[in-house]
This record gives sequence, structure tokens and C-alpha cells, in this order.
Amino acid sequence: MIGFLIRRIGQALIVLVIVTIIVLALVHLFPGGPVKALLGPRATPQQLAYYTQLYGFDKPFYEQYIKWVGQMLQGNLGYSDKLNQSVTSLIGQDLPKTIVLVLLGTIVSLLLGIPLGVYQAVRRYSIGDYVLTGISFLGYATPTFFFGLLLVDWFAVRTHIFPPFAPNSSSVLTILGDPRALVLPVVAYAFLLFALWSRYMRSSVMDNLVQDYVRTARAKGASERQVIWGHVFRNSLVSIVTLLGLSLPTLVAGAIFIEVVFNYPGMGLAFYNAAEQVDYQVLLGFTVLATAATVVGNLLADIGYAMLDPRVRY
Amino acid sequence: MANVTVSADELAQLGAPPAKKRRGLVRRSWDVFAENRLALVGLGFIVFIVLFCFLGPVFYQTNQSTTDLINTMCPPSGGHLLGCNELGYDQLGRLMAGGQTSIEVGLAAALVAVSFGTLYGAISGFFGGVVDAVMMRVVDAGLSLPSLMVLIIAAVIFHPSPVVMIFAIAVFYWFAVARLVRGETLTLRTREYVQAVKVVGGSKLRSVIRHVLPNAIGTIIVQATFAVADSILTLSGLGFLGLGVSAPATDWGSMLSGGLNYLQGSDPWWLIYPPGILIILTCISFNFIGDALRDAFETRLQRR
Amino acid sequence: MALLQIEDLHTNIQLKDGVVHAVDGVTLHVDEGETLGVVGESGCGKTMTALSIMNLLPVGGHITGGSVKLGDKTISTLDAAAMRSIRGNEIGMIFQDPLSSLNPTHTVGKQIAEAVLLHRDVSKHDAYERAIEVLDMVGLPRARERVGEYPHQFSGGMRQRVMIAMALACEPKLLIADEPTTALDVTIQKQILELIDDLRHRLGMAVILVTHDLGVIAGRADRVAVMYAGRVVETTDTAALFENPRHPYTEALFHALPEKSAETRERLYSIPGAPPDLVTPPPGCRFAPRCRYATDRCRAEDPALAGETTAHTYACFFPVGAHEKTVAGQLVVVEPAPADDAVPADVPVAGDVVLSAKDLVKDFPVTRGALLRRKVGTVSAVAGVSFDIRKGETLGLVGESGCGKTTIGRMLVGLEKPTSGAVSFAGKDLARSSGRQYRRERRDIQYMFQDSYASLDPRMRAGSILREPLIVQHMGSRREQQAKVREMLGKVGLPAAWTERFPHEFSGGQRQRLGFARALMLNPQLIVADEPVSALDVSIQAQVLNMMRDLQRELGLTYLFISHDLSVVRYLSNHIGVMYLGKLVEIGTADEVYLRPAHPYTKGLIESAPTADPAAERAKVNEGITGELPSALHPPTGCRFRTRCPLAQEICSSVEPELKPYGVGNHLAACHFALQPPVEATAPTATEQVP
Repeated sequence: MIGFLIRRIGQALIVLVIVTIIVLALVHLFPGGPVKALLGPRATPQQLAYYTQLYGFDKPFYEQYIKWVGQMLQGNLGYSDKLNQSVTSLIGQDLPKTIVLVLLGTIVSLLLGIPLGVYQAVRRYSIGDYVLTGISFLGYATPTFFFGLLLVDWFAVRTHIFPPFAPNSSSVLTILGDPRALVLPVVAYAFLLFALWSRYMRSSVMDNLVQDYVRTARAKGASERQVIWGHVFRNSLVSIVTLLGLSLPTLVAGAIFIEVVFNYPGMGLAFYNAAEQVDYQVLLGFTVLATAATVVGNLLADIGYAMLDPRVRY
Repeated sequence: MANVTVSADELAQLGAPPAKKRRGLVRRSWDVFAENRLALVGLGFIVFIVLFCFLGPVFYQTNQSTTDLINTMCPPSGGHLLGCNELGYDQLGRLMAGGQTSIEVGLAAALVAVSFGTLYGAISGFFGGVVDAVMMRVVDAGLSLPSLMVLIIAAVIFHPSPVVMIFAIAVFYWFAVARLVRGETLTLRTREYVQAVKVVGGSKLRSVIRHVLPNAIGTIIVQATFAVADSILTLSGLGFLGLGVSAPATDWGSMLSGGLNYLQGSDPWWLIYPPGILIILTCISFNFIGDALRDAFETRLQRR
Repeated sequence: MALLQIEDLHTNIQLKDGVVHAVDGVTLHVDEGETLGVVGESGCGKTMTALSIMNLLPVGGHITGGSVKLGDKTISTLDAAAMRSIRGNEIGMIFQDPLSSLNPTHTVGKQIAEAVLLHRDVSKHDAYERAIEVLDMVGLPRARERVGEYPHQFSGGMRQRVMIAMALACEPKLLIADEPTTALDVTIQKQILELIDDLRHRLGMAVILVTHDLGVIAGRADRVAVMYAGRVVETTDTAALFENPRHPYTEALFHALPEKSAETRERLYSIPGAPPDLVTPPPGCRFAPRCRYATDRCRAEDPALAGETTAHTYACFFPVGAHEKTVAGQLVVVEPAPADDAVPADVPVAGDVVLSAKDLVKDFPVTRGALLRRKVGTVSAVAGVSFDIRKGETLGLVGESGCGKTTIGRMLVGLEKPTSGAVSFAGKDLARSSGRQYRRERRDIQYMFQDSYASLDPRMRAGSILREPLIVQHMGSRREQQAKVREMLGKVGLPAAWTERFPHEFSGGQRQRLGFARALMLNPQLIVADEPVSALDVSIQAQVLNMMRDLQRELGLTYLFISHDLSVVRYLSNHIGVMYLGKLVEIGTADEVYLRPAHPYTKGLIESAPTADPAAERAKVNEGITGELPSALHPPTGCRFRTRCPLAQEICSSVEPELKPYGVGNHLAACHFALQPPVEATAPTATEQVP
């Protein structure tokens, strides 16, 4: 197990290195050169020279890379002139709110999607299965932002069941204290995820139900419920764990759209604003953070997989 | 006890599996596909929407380049079947124009991503060893990038045209395709019929082209179908954020950039619902088709 | 009253396009404490019958008629809850593949404890204790330590013991064993079958043994029911069945066994055609289309199970064999059946050496990690093997899993490169060639794969598959190639019109023929056949073996025949080589090796393999090869067989025995304590002979 862990962490580090190299290379692809990209089109030549030296853009690539990584590891992700804030502090401000949204949305989608996926597999080709399949297909095909727009239109603007905007506050506690305003954003966020989990769970459970070990369990006298929840469920869960790890980019993208639609003051909205303002420091810093989160997420998913499937461990 | 191996005709009579009409693989795949009614509906809709977007303007001519500021936001009427948008453009005509862009970009991006991803994945899977390990680490890295964020950054910097959009979207999609094709190639490479080619003296190239790829083509086609839907969705997301193609060109997503205005009451419903609904219907149609194709290819292989 | 009584059972399986009458009127009974063997080929309904007893039918399966009674309780009509209390409790079942039949994510202890907890009101702790107790009973070493391990950490034989433990945890009255040893090596098979027998006596249990292997039946069953096309066609006690089969199908099965013709090497009797389609079964006797004695009456009317005595019943209007009657409770043959005239086979004349392998070694490195591949060990698959094959003869290479025989075959055709050693064909060194030279050499040596389904591209038509070797080798024009394809199809007994068919449209035996035709396309001199008949039913196996034999005579082919099945190897081969864990332990003429084995492993192998002769089976000494196969990563020092050898001594672990001649005709064996007298009178090593 330890050997497995070490190997996986090693792989994650390699991926992290490659990714950060790619991001740095992207910076260099900016027209006008990387410093101009970082400072914007209105930078004066003095500023350009100063920052070129400061960031070491006149040095060879690998030196820049090491310097940049060093800075990041020290917690320095850049500084936003437009907001007059360091990127790190901006993250500290906005990340918790985004985490609330993402966490709530993911948990809701898992709590609904997994059991319904099992239900669909057990009662395949029933009315319930077809209805849920239809909903899943809709979930795949509807743009997240459009679904958000629809929800607001139907449940907030035309009717007044929920407020049209998400809670707007810099404090996480205040946000959590206004659950009604969180309902629509969370539901909109969770719709696509729900489609993903329930579909995969359905197919995974269906695959497992025809395996030989299920027949053995029945031959021992286990009831269908014991077979499904005691045997099949856990073995089907492995595919979800891997999927969870891989869907971090989806989670990030969803957060951006929902925060824009609902005016929710998290990292997604901040990123969008930074895009409108062409605030490169923020854009790059957030991207690096999201990438690192994805790599870590994949690592955790692999570890989770190993915990569920002993064949990987031993 | 003098029984001998039976003559060919007797064998055919006695022991042959029930003689079905000899149908080609394409024909049989189509049969399974056609059983799936949803897929047929999906296919029908795709045909309809393509005709609508590309042939529609021939029959319903509108002016999509000059603004008409007198007629902004005009409601649906005889002259403008779906009303006008904020710049006076006819909305129905705009849907057709936008549809052309969305579908073109979607199809092209999917094509580029799947082609490149297939090649990459096949090479990686077939050579294996260190080559595979390195190539897959790159894919892992690509899959870890938050694609939307990088696309947004790229759109902000470059203000892309539809062509650039195609490649931008494809650049992020091919990673998933490469991983999938590599997995297929790895599986197929160890199949004995690929080894059999070596035994009769065939080259590795022959194995890949004649045996591995044709057997992987099913998965690839299914992936391509889903890729089109995903590309359309990505493009529409960027358009909504105001980072899609620039005016006067448009796509369904850009038409939705006034979405927030709509919620605040300033944009009318006919600007928002039609493009959104068309996106959903188009994507769901491709998904139906892809799902049915997946079933069709699977059952064919399982018929023993 | 019988323990289990099955009366006119009908089971249907609903498919998308049609209903399969898998079990179509089966009547059987099992008495307490006895073993009933249910034997038949694939598709005969024996597994479906077994599953029907416990109502474990697959999706779409239903019992549509008849009844199953356990004691005086009718269990076929019980509701789900009541049936559950019988499964695993009063009736236990074990299946063929223990790896897939065990949940990979539950420990072994948990799975056995589950069986206990489902039926007994005990604490979890007590259930675990019971699990350990039962694992001990089935002979799993260090049960207490290993109870927390996962199925994939056990070997095949051990896993099957775990399954048995699970089935017996609640001490059922009846154990149903569905092909319990088919997936296991022969020596392990013997251990498992002995274990089941032993447990049967200890627990006073009855056993239903479902298998296709007549040898297993001969050795382990008290009574036998032969099934064909969803029906029982003959049933009696084992001795009577083998001595005096009455149903033509049973007789045909016996005649198709290679071991029956091993001495004479004559053509096997192969039952023509294939079993009937069970969606629309034919009217009349189901075996009539393939029966050599069939008359019009057989094709029109359906015979019922009947017989001169109730102890031996069969479903045939014109049974073969001798009449019987029961005298004082014993079955007695009234007139002996007429003897068959055996035609002795001609022995092929051996020619020059066509292929010579010298000191072949193949090591597989075991690596860990994707990018930084660290070598953590080496699997010694082949460790210095030498042999010669002469023109026109068949060398059979026999051994159990992991012995290296498949690797040798693959090295001969270039699918693996030897780590060291040389292979020379007609004088030229093969092993090092590549590129154009390698391609040229393919014309001389070809390969026949074991799994025909996996070795034929499912997307290519038969004609294209056969043409491919010719295309690759640039042999002939398109028309000439197509003509050759048709010619080869004819030679293997397939219709020329079938060039347009896809592999999945062929039956198993037909696919093997197709694979063989492909091997013939380049007119090779030597064909390496890797387990060509292992996956086939006995009657189909006979067809393919006959075909191989005939074509060998006709085309002057030389074969390297690789198999784990001794009886098949003995039937077809002139010389036999026995391999164990990468070493060639014995080699000689077929008769010499089989009748006068010099190596203890060979002897053990011969004894473990079940033969279709009940008397011989009962007479077998119960001491065979014990223990499990050692890991090829760390093979034992000295003689690799010593860990399981009953004759092992100190010297066996320090000095590796060399191949020395024994007996007659270049019969070599590598053992310090060989079972035959050595040829050289001046043997300096210990000469204690063990008879």
C-alpha cells in the first residue's frame, strides 16, 4: 500500500510539473511577450523593463520556471493592480464561497444520483428507468448556464418562490444562513452532475449484476437487497470514484457559469470579472490553483479507488 | 465404426448455425441502430436542423449584416416570425446564421479532436512501454487543465474567429479521446488475432491498420458523436460569457449573452428561449445517436 | 425416499427472439450420501438442471413444468423467502470458475461468514470462527492467518477450496458441484475431487456432480445420468454405464474418447453434426439426426426412459449393448455385446530431424511502475529445454499451467524471443532472425491458436482471414489465392461457400478448423498447435483430431502438439515431452512415457488424470502429487519438482538432475530416483529403485 501511495504521488508530481510548464508556455504565447501579457496593453516601457527583470523573463525558460514555481510555493501568485489585491488574498476571500457551492452541489448530486442509478439498474426498462434516463439525457444536453437562466425565470422572476440572486456577502456564514437563496444555484449546478453519476452508476450496477459472484451470493441464500447493497453496490462505486477524480474541470466550469448567472461572489465570478477586465495575474493565478486542485483530486480519487478495490493494493 | 468426417454439404445441413441472410457489418449495425427509436428521432432532428440552418436562409431571407435600430426588440409578427433582437436583426434569420456557426464549429472541432486523439492514442497504445508512459503523462496533464478557464483566457487575448475556435475547443477535447483510444488499442493489441498477423509474417503496421483500427472504429465513432454535442455546448458557454465569435457573426451561445438582461426584464423571451432550446435539442439528438451507436457496435460483437 | 427427486422438469429461457427449452422433461433422483454424476456436452442442459434445483436461473429463465422435491418438501414452488432459507443451508452449490465466483472486494472470511450469518442466529465473531473451522476442514493451510485475505491472493485450487468451504458452512444435505474442476490443473483437480469425496463421507452429504468429463464421472460418481438436448438419455450406476452402455449416444461418446484408441491409434469415432437447436427441437428422438443406428421410427417418435430393469434405463428404441437384469440387487449382463474389430493403425516412419531446440531459456522480467520501470523479479518460464522433432512425426508437449509449454511454442514461431538458446530449422538458426528473413521463415513453421474465437478477427470474413497469409507473403495472384482458400476449406471439411461468413457464425469446432486452415495456407512443414482441442466437447474434439491426423498423413506435416490433456497427447503423438515449471523432466516415445514413466511427476500426472474406466479409477492409489505449484518467480533450487515429490531427498534440493536415458528408445528423464532402470550400467549416482 505504501509503495502504491508513493508511486501515485510521484506520478501526480510529474503531471503537476508538466501542467505548470504548459501554463508558463501559454504565458509566453501571449502576443507582445509575457510581460506585456501580465501587465496589460497600457504598461509603460519602464514597467515592462522592471517586471521583465523582476520576473526574470530575460532569463532562459527553465530559470523562469523555477523562479515562478518558487514564488508560487511561497504563496505568491501575483498581484492584481485592477483590484489592488494580491491574488492570494483574493483567493482567500472567494474560494470558501465557491467551495460551499461546489460541495453542496456535488453532495446533492451524489446523494440523488447514486441511489437513483442503482434503482434504474435494478428496475431497468421500467417506466421509472425511462423517465430518469430522459432526465439524464436532458442533463447532458442542457448548458449549465441556460438551465440556471430557466430556473431563475420560472422560480424567481415569474413566480417568487426563490430569490433571483444568490446570497451576496463576503462571509461564508452569512451565505449559509440564507438557504433559500442557495437552492436555485445548487440545483442548477447539480443537474449535469446528477446526470453523470446516475448514468454511470446505472451502467456499473448493470454490469455487476450479471457477474458470477452475484450468483454465488444468491446461492448462499442472500436476498436481492443483500446482494445489491452488500455486494454489488460497493463494487459499482469504484467507477464513480474514478469519475469523480476526472470531473474536477467540469466542477470548475460549472462554478463559473452558475456564479455568473446568480451573481454569486465566488472564484468563478471573480475569474469572469478578471476576464472582462483583462486582469492577467488573477486569470493565471486562478488557473494554476484550479489545475493543482485537479491533480490533487485525481490523486485522492486513485487512493479512494485503491481503498475500494483490494486487487490494486496487494 | 467406419464413420468419417462428414462431407461439407452434410455438415452444412446438420451442424451449421441457422443460416441467416449474409449481411454486411454496416447493414447489421444499421439494423440494431434503427431499432432504437430515440436514435431515429435524433437523426431526424439533426437532418431537420441542418436543413433549417443551411437551406433556411434561401427561403427566408433576412438581413444579417446591417443593423436596423428602428426595429429593435420587435415582437414576433408577420414580417419577423420570431421578432427582432436588440440590434434589429431578424431573430429567426439569426437563429439560422447562428446555427450554421454552432454546427460547423461543433462538427469541425469534434473531427479535429477525434482525428488527432485517435492517432495519438493508437501510437501510444501500440508501442507501449516508455513511449506510452510518457505520452500518457502528457494526456494526464492535459486532462488536469481546467479547460474552460484556459479557453476563457485564450478568448480574451485572441478574440478568435470561428476557425480558431474550432482548434481551441479541439485542443482540449482530444485528451479524452486519446486516453480512450489508447485503452482500446492496449486491449486489442493483446488479442490473438493481432498476434496471428505477426505469425504469418505481417508487419506491425498491417496489424494496426487492418486489425486494430477497424475493431476500434466503433468506439471512435461513438466518441465522435458525443464530441460534437460537447463542442457545441462549450462554444455556447463561451458565447454566453461574451467570449464567442465576434459580431456580426453569431452562434447560438452568443445569442444567449443577453440572458442576464432577460432576467432583469430588458430582453424579451424570444431572444433567449429559441437559441437555448435549439442547443438542447441538437445536443440531445447527437447523444441519442451516440448511445444507439454504442449499443449497435456492442451487440454486433457479442453475437456468438 | 430419495433425498432429492426431480420429476419431469421443464425449464425455459426467454430470449429476445424465441424460447429455449433448456431442460425438457428431466427426471432424476439422488439418494442420501451418494454421488450422482450428470454428464453431457455443452448445451445438453445439465447446468440448467442444476440451477433449476435451487431456482438460480439466469434472467429470462423459468421453471415451466415438473417438480423438484427435497425429501417430502416440494421446493420448486416455494416463494422467494422460503427458497432463500434452503439455499446455502440445506443445499449448497459450487461453480466452475472460483475467481469470478468470489467477490473480489470481500475477504474470504467475510464471504464464508456471510453464509453462516444468513442461516444461523450467531454473533459475527462466532460466524468468523466457523469460517476458520470450515477453511481448516477443506484443507486450506494456515486458515486462521489467511481468513482475512482476498480471493485474488489465493491460487486456483485454494480458491475452489474456499468456495467449497462457503457452500458447506451450514452443513447442507446436498452439494451441487457444477464443473468444479474444469478450470483447474489435473493434479489440483485430483485433490479437489478427493476433498469433495472425503467431505461427503464425513458430513453424510449427497453430491450432484455436473461435468462433461467422463473420467471424473468414472472415478467419483456412484450413479450417472447422461444428458443430451435437455433430456436424460441414460441413467444407471457407474460401473454398469461404462461396462455396458445402452444408448447410442453414450456408446458414441465412449468411442470418441482418445484414450480408447490410444493403443491402436486408429481414427476416433466422431459423432457427425451438432446438437439440435433447443428453440425448436426436432420431433422424435433428439439424437436421431446424428445416430448411426437411426431408423424412421426414431425420427418420428420420441422414446421414453425405460429399460429391462429399473436400475438401468435409457431412452432408445434400439439400444446397443447387452441385455441386463437384476439378480439379487445386482445388475448382471445377460449376453456379452459383440466385440469390435479393432483395426491397427500404421506407424509413420520417422525421418530426419526437422527442428532442433537447444537449451532454450525464456525469462520474463517483472516490472513495477509505469515510467520508472524497476525490475522486481524474473519469471523463469523456460529454463533450458532441448528437443528434436523429426519429419512427419508429432511431438506432444504436455504439462500443467505455468510449465512453459506455451512459451516454447510461441518461441518457435517468433511470438517470443528466447533469452538464450537456439532453435534450428532444417539446419538454419531461427531464433535470431527478423525482418525479411523472419517473414520468409514463416512459410515453414505455422501456428494454431488455442482460442479460435480470439484468434480470428471478428470483423473479417473467413475468406479474407484465409487469404491474409498469402497476401502478406506475396504468394500468387488474387485468383490463385482465392482458389487456394477454397482448396484449404475443403481439406479441413468446411464448405467452400462459407468464405463469406464471419467467425461468430461458425461453431467452436468449425472455428478450430478455420484456424487450422489458416495455418495450412503457407504450406508449412511444421505446425505448432497450442491446445487446439482443449475448449471443445468430446465429440467435436474427435472430429478435429481426426482431421489433424488425416492431413498429417496426406500432406506430410510435422506437429508440435501442446496440451495439458495427456490422453489427447498420447493418442496423437509419436513422442511425448513432459514439462514442469520450465524444465523438460521426461521425453520419450509415447508408449514408453505413458506405460513406463521414469519421472515421478509424469507418473503422478498419469495417475491424476481421470480415465473413463471405473475399475481403474477405484484402484488408483490415493497418494498423488500433493501441494501447490511453486511460484515461477522463485523456483525451487535443484530439482524444481522436489517440493511436491514423494521421493524427494536431500540431494534433490542441491543438485539439479540431468536428463539421462532410461528404458528403451531414447527415453530420457531428469530425476535422481527415477522409476525405471537407467540404460548405462555404470551409473555412479544412487541407484535405489522405487517400484
